Amino acid sequence: MTTPSNLLQRRQAVTLARHEIRRSLFSRRSLAVYVLVTMPLALMLLRALFMPGSLRADATHATTEFAEVFHFFLLRFVVFFANAMIFVRLFRGEILEKSLHYTLLAPLRRTVLVVGKYLGGVLSASLVLVITTTMTYVLVYLPHGSAGLQLMLSGSGIANLVSYLLIVVLACFAYGALFMLAGLFFKNPMVPAIVFLGWETLTPFLPTFLKVLSFVHYLVSFAPIPVNLGAFALLAQPVPRWIAFFALAVSSGLLVFAASRVARRLEVTYSAD
Amino acid sequence: MTSAQASDRIVFRDVSKFYGEVLGVNKVNLEVTPGLTGLVGPNGSGKSTLMHLMTGLLRPSRGEISVLGVSPGCPEQLFHLVGYCTQYDNFPNGSTGLSFLRFALALHGYSNREADERAWAALGRVGLSDAANRRIAGYSKGMRQRVKLAHAHCHDPRVLVLDEPLNGLDPMGRAEMIDLFTDLAKEGRHIIVSSHILHEVDVISDGVIMIHGGAIVAEGGIREVRGEITSHPIQVLIRCDQPHAVASRIFELEHVVEARIIERDGLLVRTRDAADFFTQFNRIVIDTGVVVETVVPADESVHAVYDYLIGEGQGGGSA
Repeated sequence: MTTPSNLLQRRQAVTLARHEIRRSLFSRRSLAVYVLVTMPLALMLLRALFMPGSLRADATHATTEFAEVFHFFLLRFVVFFANAMIFVRLFRGEILEKSLHYTLLAPLRRTVLVVGKYLGGVLSASLVLVITTTMTYVLVYLPHGSAGLQLMLSGSGIANLVSYLLIVVLACFAYGALFMLAGLFFKNPMVPAIVFLGWETLTPFLPTFLKVLSFVHYLVSFAPIPVNLGAFALLAQPVPRWIAFFALAVSSGLLVFAASRVARRLEVTYSAD
Repeated sequence: MTSAQASDRIVFRDVSKFYGEVLGVNKVNLEVTPGLTGLVGPNGSGKSTLMHLMTGLLRPSRGEISVLGVSPGCPEQLFHLVGYCTQYDNFPNGSTGLSFLRFALALHGYSNREADERAWAALGRVGLSDAANRRIAGYSKGMRQRVKLAHAHCHDPRVLVLDEPLNGLDPMGRAEMIDLFTDLAKEGRHIIVSSHILHEVDVISDGVIMIHGGAIVAEGGIREVRGEITSHPIQVLIRCDQPHAVASRIFELEHVVEARIIERDGLLVRTRDAADFFTQFNRIVIDTGVVVETVVPADESVHAVYDYLIGEGQGGGSA
């Protein structure tokens, strides 16, 4: 095969990404992700069914209600765990399946392998979570009838949705890189994932110098509607969006770089795993 | 070694591999030339470790490896040259034979059309065309072995590393695969085959590497290896019309330690100097006028050499 090196690497990354999208979205194991992303939709449907008539008439509540659902459930639980399930499996899934060696037997730089798998994971997670977030958003406004729809489709309603979707996509990049690295590093990556969830959950109560070590601190900078984090939350200056974007991009890049370093030293010893 | 030689050989220089404190292979020095090489040793002797090291699935703790001049640490170059059929019997979930090979070939950079053509050709070569679109999970053990072989050679590599490739195949399948390996070796490729079935290694191999306890105990053509085992006299089987007459003359030779009549016309001779034996035997034949049907070495086989070098210490003769 005499394909120029750069072209070959691009082709390989695209092939891997497409393969990962198929594995993440259409395999039996993706069922757990689908169950997870259905939870906010089910919750919103229940809310719509049991909403008192007095609340239905007032659509303005919907905006703050979605903000709370997004902060406390979608972002901190659904987005977090969906990314954990998808990205941890990129390497660890194949190690447990004892099929990783087939990919390692291809004329493929390990860095390309990591980047290809990561892009596949980001696209899969983003697609599923963007659809879930959008549907949840619609289901929050829908019970309020035409007033709700009008508010949702107004300039600010659409702008808010775009901001939330941006947070979701950025979260996929950041959490994705972290969980992919965890999948390469730990035999049971769900343990560090749960520890990290604890850290992310505690972020509002941490002093500023520790807040900067969490992703959620930067992600919420893009939130259009602030939420009340409770009486014990330590308030900090919001991070300017460009700094938040830069911090998330750099940390994701560093984590992917670290994952490619680990992948370069990766050996096939399934019996040890 | 010249660069031309390096680009034609698989070279291990003082290679050791440790799994923590457990020894995998120890101070291995090897030069493998083109042709069919058998890798023989008992379970846990380090055969798979050696193959993993050759293909970069493991990194050596010490030493250097070069496969046709390429380091196994450069997969982007190595796997254009090398195909590896591992002993692992697992496959990506949901794959069919065809999709499995297509994905591998796409990673080699082939276009969809080329990947399709090559995948079908490789599946045809191992007799799996009819099962190409079936899920591998539903394949028999023999079919899974065949699809792994197709995966290893679908990109036309110069080096094929095959770990127990005949496992699970029926006798007909074994014969077909042996023919395939022999054909590939005749094309000037390196075919390295590990097997615990010594008879098969004997039939197919040009050379042999014997490994025991992580160390190489013998390497080379089976005749040369046998010739170097001085602790065991070489056995020669003679079939002629007057075995008793030949036996009495042969016994006079100083280096002959045993001459035993077997069956009606057979004579088994054990000698410590094969070269002198054959010279003297020619003279005896001329002097006595016996009619000789065959003269064949009786223990120039992988099995015998294995027994002498490894098997006796194991209390048995099979790997």
